[in-house]
Amino acid sequence: MAKLEASDTVVLGISIDSPAANAAFAKQIGVTFPLLSDMNKEVLTSYQILKPYDVKGGKYQWAQRTTIVVDKQGKIQHVEQGDSAVDPNSAVSVCTGLHKPKA
Amino acid sequence: MKGIVTALAGVLLLLGVGGKVVAPATAATQEEAVAKTNLKVGDAAPDFSLLSDKWEQVKLSDYRGKKNVILAFYVLAFTGG
Repeated sequence: MAKLEASDTVVLGISIDSPAANAAFAKQIGVTFPLLSDMNKEVLTSYQILKPYDVKGGKYQWAQRTTIVVDKQGKIQHVEQGDSAVDPNSAVSVCTGLHKPKA
Repeated sequence: MKGIVTALAGVLLLLGVGGKVVAPATAATQEEAVAKTNLKVGDAAPDFSLLSDKWEQVKLSDYRGKKNVILAFYVLAFTGG
């Protein structure tokens, strides 16, 4: 996180949870960055990462686990999905790389 | 600062475990194929405005020209088990 601050980077968590659920979740896991509520699934739809889940016979659509890095110009610099998106290292190195002047 | 690093690692770990939607062992929770986005490096990131856990509107474009942003999409809160 220090590396991220040094490279002018913020983290936004996004899920379909309510703000109240996210507030409790943030407290439980001790994060300081915002957790955002996409209750209408508009963002998940526009990012094309709504994924069907089948829980006890019920059908749901929640987020596909995804990490996307957006640079200061609003351009996507990194897309990672599935299990590997859990590891923050590659996203972090993209951001520290963005901060360094190109050699 | 170290604490914050640990916290970030913690959240991503939790989010990761959350992807499997931890539920009672009897629940048939099926994880299907990756919902693959067509967004790719170089594309403009679609803007959005969402309520934060502090009930504030946060817009992606608020960070334009100021910060790089890591968007960490997770399945559900509290599903880390």
